[in-house]
Amino acid sequence: MISRRKSLQTIASGFGAAFGASMLPDISQAASTASGGPKRVIFFMQNQGMDPATCIPAGMKTGGSLAKAVLPEPIKALEPFKEQMHIIAGLHGKHTSPSHSAFFGALGGYRGSDGVAPSASTIDYELSKALPETLLPHLCVGMDSIENMKAKPTVANLSARGAGSPIFMHSNPNHLYQMLYGGISQGDIRNQHEAKSSMYDRIEQMAATEGKTLPSGDKQRFGEFVQGFNDMNGLRERLSKVSDHLKNFAPTVDDAYTNPEFETDWHDRILDLGISALKSGTTSVLTIGSGRGEIFGAWKGLGIEQQGHNLGHMKQPDNPIWVKIRQYNSRMLVKLMEELESVPEGSGTMMDNTLIVYTSNNANAQHTNGANWPVVLLGNCGGAFKTGQFTQLDGTRPINALYNSILRTTGVEADRFNMSDQMAAKFDSGTGPLKEILA
Amino acid sequence: MRKFTYTLAVAGCTILGNIASAADPYTPGDPIHGDFETFAQGFLDKHCYECHDDLSTKGDLNLLDLGAVDETNGALWKAIWAQVALGEMPPKKKTQPEVIERLKFTDWIVNNLSQAMEDKGGFSAHLDPNKGNFIDHDLLFGSLPEGIKLVPTSSPARIWRVTPQEHITRLNELINTEAAFDPKKPGLRTHGDVVPTNHGGELKLYFGTDRITSWEGGTVAYATAVKSVPVVLSSARKHGFENYPDFYSVNSSEATQILNKAEDILEYMAYGPLSLVGMPEQITDDRKTYDAVKPEGDLRGLPTAITYSTKVTRELTPVYDLMKDPEAEVTGKSLSAAINYLFEALTFRPPTVKESADYQKIVRDSIAKIGREDGIFMGLSAIFLDRDALFRPELVEEKDSKADEHGRVMLQDWELGLAVNHALGYLQPDDQLRQAITDGRMKTKEDVEREVTRMLADDTIRKPRVLRFFRDYFDHDLAGYICKDDKAQATTGAKGGTGHYRAMFDAAASTDRLIELILEKDKDVLKELLTTQQLVATNSDSTYFGRKHTPEERDVAIAAKKKADQEIKEKIEVDLKEIAVQLADVEAKLKEKPEAKIAKTLNDEKKKLVAKKKNAERDKKRMKSNINVDVAPAKLAGDNIYARVSRNSFGTGSMKPERKLATAPEGERMGILTHPSWLVSHSDAMDNHAIHRGIWIRTRLLGGGIPDVPITVDAQLPDEPNTPLRERMRVTREKYCWTCHEKMDPLGLPFEMYNHAGLFRTTELDKPVDTSGEIIDSGDPALDGPVENAIDMIQKLSESERVEQVFVRHAFRFWMGRNEILNDAPVLQAAHKAYRDNGGSMNALITSLVTSDAFLYRRRAEK
Repeated sequence: MISRRKSLQTIASGFGAAFGASMLPDISQAASTASGGPKRVIFFMQNQGMDPATCIPAGMKTGGSLAKAVLPEPIKALEPFKEQMHIIAGLHGKHTSPSHSAFFGALGGYRGSDGVAPSASTIDYELSKALPETLLPHLCVGMDSIENMKAKPTVANLSARGAGSPIFMHSNPNHLYQMLYGGISQGDIRNQHEAKSSMYDRIEQMAATEGKTLPSGDKQRFGEFVQGFNDMNGLRERLSKVSDHLKNFAPTVDDAYTNPEFETDWHDRILDLGISALKSGTTSVLTIGSGRGEIFGAWKGLGIEQQGHNLGHMKQPDNPIWVKIRQYNSRMLVKLMEELESVPEGSGTMMDNTLIVYTSNNANAQHTNGANWPVVLLGNCGGAFKTGQFTQLDGTRPINALYNSILRTTGVEADRFNMSDQMAAKFDSGTGPLKEILA
Repeated sequence: MRKFTYTLAVAGCTILGNIASAADPYTPGDPIHGDFETFAQGFLDKHCYECHDDLSTKGDLNLLDLGAVDETNGALWKAIWAQVALGEMPPKKKTQPEVIERLKFTDWIVNNLSQAMEDKGGFSAHLDPNKGNFIDHDLLFGSLPEGIKLVPTSSPARIWRVTPQEHITRLNELINTEAAFDPKKPGLRTHGDVVPTNHGGELKLYFGTDRITSWEGGTVAYATAVKSVPVVLSSARKHGFENYPDFYSVNSSEATQILNKAEDILEYMAYGPLSLVGMPEQITDDRKTYDAVKPEGDLRGLPTAITYSTKVTRELTPVYDLMKDPEAEVTGKSLSAAINYLFEALTFRPPTVKESADYQKIVRDSIAKIGREDGIFMGLSAIFLDRDALFRPELVEEKDSKADEHGRVMLQDWELGLAVNHALGYLQPDDQLRQAITDGRMKTKEDVEREVTRMLADDTIRKPRVLRFFRDYFDHDLAGYICKDDKAQATTGAKGGTGHYRAMFDAAASTDRLIELILEKDKDVLKELLTTQQLVATNSDSTYFGRKHTPEERDVAIAAKKKADQEIKEKIEVDLKEIAVQLADVEAKLKEKPEAKIAKTLNDEKKKLVAKKKNAERDKKRMKSNINVDVAPAKLAGDNIYARVSRNSFGTGSMKPERKLATAPEGERMGILTHPSWLVSHSDAMDNHAIHRGIWIRTRLLGGGIPDVPITVDAQLPDEPNTPLRERMRVTREKYCWTCHEKMDPLGLPFEMYNHAGLFRTTELDKPVDTSGEIIDSGDPALDGPVENAIDMIQKLSESERVEQVFVRHAFRFWMGRNEILNDAPVLQAAHKAYRDNGGSMNALITSLVTSDAFLYRRRAEK
């Protein structure tokens, strides 16, 4: 019989998230993971590549402390957080085929491309399994042009729970709000929520009735199907049981939910919802796809008239357009950190137990072979990661090694992440975690 | 003390063992009575302890401590089951158990493992199609020893999880129209064919692509702007044969995704492309009318970049009728029409009165809560999660169905009709089959034979399940999923990067088409598949079916290329001189300060010449001949034909159906196993995969079984890039490994005549390539012996009756949805006879199987 834990995890790709069985953790008393690693991880994936010059202080070539360095203009908003920052250059993703986007390969560390299904799970999903259980261990959100977010409110390009099993990311804040806070809402959102709950209940009843007459061998398989409804309905029940708690975190629904002027209005609301899910303890892994893992996207709300593919053809350094996009990213990252710092956890704050991975699904550029894949880490997770520095690697270790490093701090023992020894012989000069980033 | 205990135990067990092996009649499927002490220990004592006790722990295995089957020793018991079932243990030089003794012992292990592991994920290895060969071939096709009593066969009552291909076809039918079968272009994808994977190998449902008339941007912009959703139901990628009746369910994430998709599909059914666009003006037959009002800026990659034809191409359904007037009352009639239509489209049978009423209530409740439009869409989406939309029942629960004297109940009516329908295709039963079901003419073997014969004879009824069988059998469709190392790929002479993967997805479609062409003739089908000299190819396949140059040929080619490049350069230089003369002439005329009108003409001309000069200078640096110095391309001339490819998924870069039916270069290829699609499917990132190829030959052609790799084995070949694969495989020839590897490696190494991109070669690392191999322990002494290369081996195998029988076994597994057991021997023999008597006819084989007791009868288990 499928385990309760496993069955709950498998809901992940349905809601773009996996629901845990336990009640919400008592945030104020939540303990760190046994290993001292993060309690929550956020992946912020900006599309079109991240040019190293937009995130590495000018003049820094060989690595070192950031204390006296000045962050480049695009990420200047992160200056006050330098002590919590680790900029890494020289990881590679040559095996992920990242030109135009590695799609699932960006978080999976394997070959990806447009139209190529995931060949294994991705790091965010694996972390959602390894981290302390929450109601909604994994939430994926995506930001795109308003047209795309309306016409295709869920797409799956970045996260996967296994080969051929993509996880959808949410892009319509109304739908996401209904999912997270339908039980504590009023009006239309409440009605939608109740109608769906009622329908799930009814389908579950019908399926359970049909399952009763099955041969014993089939009961178990069919039971898994029925259990799925039980879990979906169970989540709603569990969320409503903690509605008093959730009310403290639910964002206010304003006009921008239904009448956004620009796509960035929705980007901001989606971020708010993601932050609220983290702060309320509902989720432990948040994946943000700015550009949704593809090579398009729009930021008209920032005064950028151009959109889509052309953005990727531009040089990023000193480009006013890319400065604006990266500044917007940085403001979002600052908001994430400040919000998490505002919530006490253990002897510190939530941010003390959080790791943010800011990178691109395209390595360093839209057209790239992935030889350099810059990453910015934010947060030291109770001292598990070195911070306040820039590390220049030699381009011989893959992004898989970074993912392995994070996974190991959650207590998962493995030498590699999604990389066979045969592949490693070609693409990884070492084994195990990146010692350069672990404290 | 321990030794003393053992001695006592052995003394006791010898007696018990004798009891256990007494020659009682053996009826396959009957429970084996006795526990570890009273049954199994006797077998172990008699056949195992001699080598696996604490004095002689061969293979580091001591079985003395092995007790009754439980969750802690389950893995070891499973290994014992495999070794004994396959006849690997006891070793050949030792006294062998009687056939019945061996069968009873392995049955006992399976029964006990099934019970012991019930709460620990269950034991299902014996149901795995990849282990179907664990039952002795000679017992199925030869004469049975005295004492074995077969009973009339049947399959268990069960539910089959719908396959990913079936499910996406059902959804596709709701929103897309596929072309009718065109006898003049029989290879084109038509209504009823499988929904193919796209340019990247992903199985997706596309919305509205049949009405797209224009878009902005290139291939990726198209792929992003078009609405598509990935298939929901899962299956293993390296599929081999699947077992949907036993191994697959629908998990909660899949159920949730189905619900989300359902609403998108319903909206498309109601509103068509209007549900996809940002502006209604995008539905137009004149792009200019949209261009006049479209949003400003770069629309590439956006839904607003697309225009759709106004012509409705799909069938308008009761869902459309229900939604066309947003103010209209939702009558019982209109709602039940929509429910009944959807229910049958998704489950392939009409709903009962109660089922229809249940869904009416769900929809009405939803409408009451959230209003007409949202309520209808939400309520109707529940039908997508009906049990029978995701599982096909074979439960024989009809009130008038009675068990025969053997406890078997025959499928009938809808269950029988849908089973027959499922045997061949993914669409709903056609009108004739549906009529037969509703008229009560689907109850007998004759009824099944009538319908199957009719359907097999009708080309307009597509049979994607038959093609699926061959994909599962050959595994030729995996090539595009094998990641290639760029450097290793570069050494093959074939394309690199995404071009290679696309070529491989094209190659899978080509091989599919070749299989269909052989099935059309329906003569000596297996032999033809293994030996045909025909091939289906795209233009770029001249490289993949080409021959890798020897070092000497490469030198010649390099010289030829150098010469050709020089000639190109010289021609450009001539052009440049001519341009320079013309430019000088224009400039001279301009110096004369002609009147304004002439000066403008001259300046325009000058600009053109400057641009021409720039282009020519660029070409001089870049332009090279297209001579591939690494490969002698194959000459692939032949009739123009078509292969079935996906909907437009990548704009102008989408897969193209055009193919040629060509002949393979003489002496270099023989049948599908020598085509790049199969070879690359059985390769890895760096090189050929002789072990996988050998396993394929051993299991799919010779009927042998390979035990699981012991967990203690580090199954890695040394990483020595400049060493031939054969030499790197020396590690498998170590004694511990060779017991198994001798049955596979010599069957895979003959394929070393091709490199890992599937190109024919005579040299490897600049030395003559060694293509020798050997068939051993095939079960047919006439087959055993050395082979020169893959062609020699395939030729021998294609003549073998045993190979045919093994093919029939695999067909049985596919169409019955389960592994064969001993009681199925008469069915298998009859199917093989039908195949042979009809000149190697696949149609005769399928007809025999689906009219067999194994297909028609079910046995109800306890509930």
